[in-house]
Amino acid sequence: MFLTRLRGLVALAVALMTGLAVVAIAGAQSTPVPRPVPGATKIGVLKLTSSAPIFVGVEKGFFKEFGVEPELVYFQAAAPIATALAAGQLDVGATGLTAALYNIVLGGEKLWIVADKGREWPGYPLVAIVVQKEAWDGGLRSIKDLKGKRIGVTQLGSTFHYHIGNILEKDGLHLSDVKIVPLQAMAATVEALKGKQVDAILVPQPFPGAAEAQGFGKILAWAGDLYPWQIATVFYSDKLATDRARAVAFMKGYVKASRYYFDAALVQKDGRAAHGANYDEVVEITARYTGARLEIIKLGFPFQDRNGRLLVPDIERQMSWWVANGFMKKTLPLKALVDTSFVEEAVKGLDR
Amino acid sequence: MAVERLVVVDRTAFLHRPDYRVVRVLALLGLVVGWELVTRTGWVSSLFLPAPSGVLAEGLDMARSGQLFVHLMTSLERLAWGFGVGAVAGVSVGVAVGFFALADAVVQPIIAATFPIPKIALLPLLILWLGIGEASKVAVVALGVFFPMAINTYAGVRQADPLLIRAAVSFGAGRWSVIRKVILPSALPMVFAGLKLGAGTALLLLVAAEQIAADAGIGFLILQSGNLMETTKLMVGIVVLSLLGVASYWALGALERAVIRWRHT
Repeated sequence: MFLTRLRGLVALAVALMTGLAVVAIAGAQSTPVPRPVPGATKIGVLKLTSSAPIFVGVEKGFFKEFGVEPELVYFQAAAPIATALAAGQLDVGATGLTAALYNIVLGGEKLWIVADKGREWPGYPLVAIVVQKEAWDGGLRSIKDLKGKRIGVTQLGSTFHYHIGNILEKDGLHLSDVKIVPLQAMAATVEALKGKQVDAILVPQPFPGAAEAQGFGKILAWAGDLYPWQIATVFYSDKLATDRARAVAFMKGYVKASRYYFDAALVQKDGRAAHGANYDEVVEITARYTGARLEIIKLGFPFQDRNGRLLVPDIERQMSWWVANGFMKKTLPLKALVDTSFVEEAVKGLDR
Repeated sequence: MAVERLVVVDRTAFLHRPDYRVVRVLALLGLVVGWELVTRTGWVSSLFLPAPSGVLAEGLDMARSGQLFVHLMTSLERLAWGFGVGAVAGVSVGVAVGFFALADAVVQPIIAATFPIPKIALLPLLILWLGIGEASKVAVVALGVFFPMAINTYAGVRQADPLLIRAAVSFGAGRWSVIRKVILPSALPMVFAGLKLGAGTALLLLVAAEQIAADAGIGFLILQSGNLMETTKLMVGIVVLSLLGVASYWALGALERAVIRWRHT
């Protein structure tokens, strides 16, 4: 009797403490799924279609082939991945380029942008500008019509914020011509459109398709068709970057996965998708890792370079834009945060 | 003849609570100096914990560019409206409930049922009703202030000394005269206690409300800086909040001393 009660108490205490620890970690870096593997290379990802090359690399054993044991850590937003990377809780990050990431490097922490992990590219649906059905019916049919409207994004300094700002500028408008409403989470952003709190939103697939299917939203345009850019990259922590052998080995696995992904899902012929032999396999793997249904995954995969090479000048353009709009104090020299030597060495070391 | 002296040990000495003014100042200084040292020596990265000197410099920078005042004034305006509406409504309801048995019967159960709801939980609902503009932010602050005010005022009114009331009545005071001259003044200390409680709650709710769909305010500043990983700016926001809390407590204390003069002279 006494023993059971004592055991219960100990269990309760342990549960409380782990609960606290989880909350503490969650506060700092969203909710990772603990699956500790000793000596593993920890990769921070979002459960989105755009993480497909990483999922393929893990599932097909491409990382293991080069002696790297991968361990996936899931996050809810891009910015916390950069924070966790700077804090040394991750070795690799694979996610969107946010103002937070640049500010972390500006704040004196070191991390390295090393490879392509997804671009906004014409013909490859990723993020859409979705407008309210009523506004659409009322004549909101072009970017110019967005003037004076409320536009919902997840966070200030997010990829969506950057993207809408640049799209507006392309049409002679400015960020200050609209009202950007930060709503923190993607689900909340969609809800705000549904509840008519905002006139338009920027969200990645599968949300735009769902908004149209449910009838409260209308896709105004695919953002990548209007303004292509290097939206997501692979980052290395400084620790991994100095461990040259492991860093290159990881990159070899990544480039191999990237090629596999490209050949299966990204090849186009005459502007139409020409899926490779492994397309169904890549769709199945992505669906399993993201927890989304197959038909949603089939809506489209984001574009990326077959060899994982970066659009380096775009990084510079991004920093200038953040500075010009007051979200970064000053630009960084590229050599302070971009290192393409890993991907080049990996490509050279692989055949094909 | 020599007076016999008897040494008596004060056996209640341990109950004395000296003021230790120096220690108070030193404790605060020690915290700041320790904090500065921790980041200066590089023991903790300045990205994760900016040094006080950096926070001060950033704060001055933001004050010079004017953006700090934009955030501060926006927040103060929301606070003033929310606090004002909540306090007036709370005091009125508290007095009515405390004095009229019928109002007591109607309102008491409603307050008992709605008071325990965390007001932050109502924020999404308020946004749905009132939109993402100013109204929902002011409303949540007002709600947060209303309950402590109403409950405290009620308690204050009920605590009025019956002897004083009877004395007033026997001197010929009417119902309104009794409320105005006896009950309200004797409820004032409780009302001020409610105001102080409400001020803390108001600050808490304001920051929460400003973190949803705002484009200015201290809460927004904190959220935006967090999103952008500008930790120094984030700390500026937190320091301003702490100063706001201290200032409101001090201002309410001063007001209390001015209004309830008979208690402090």
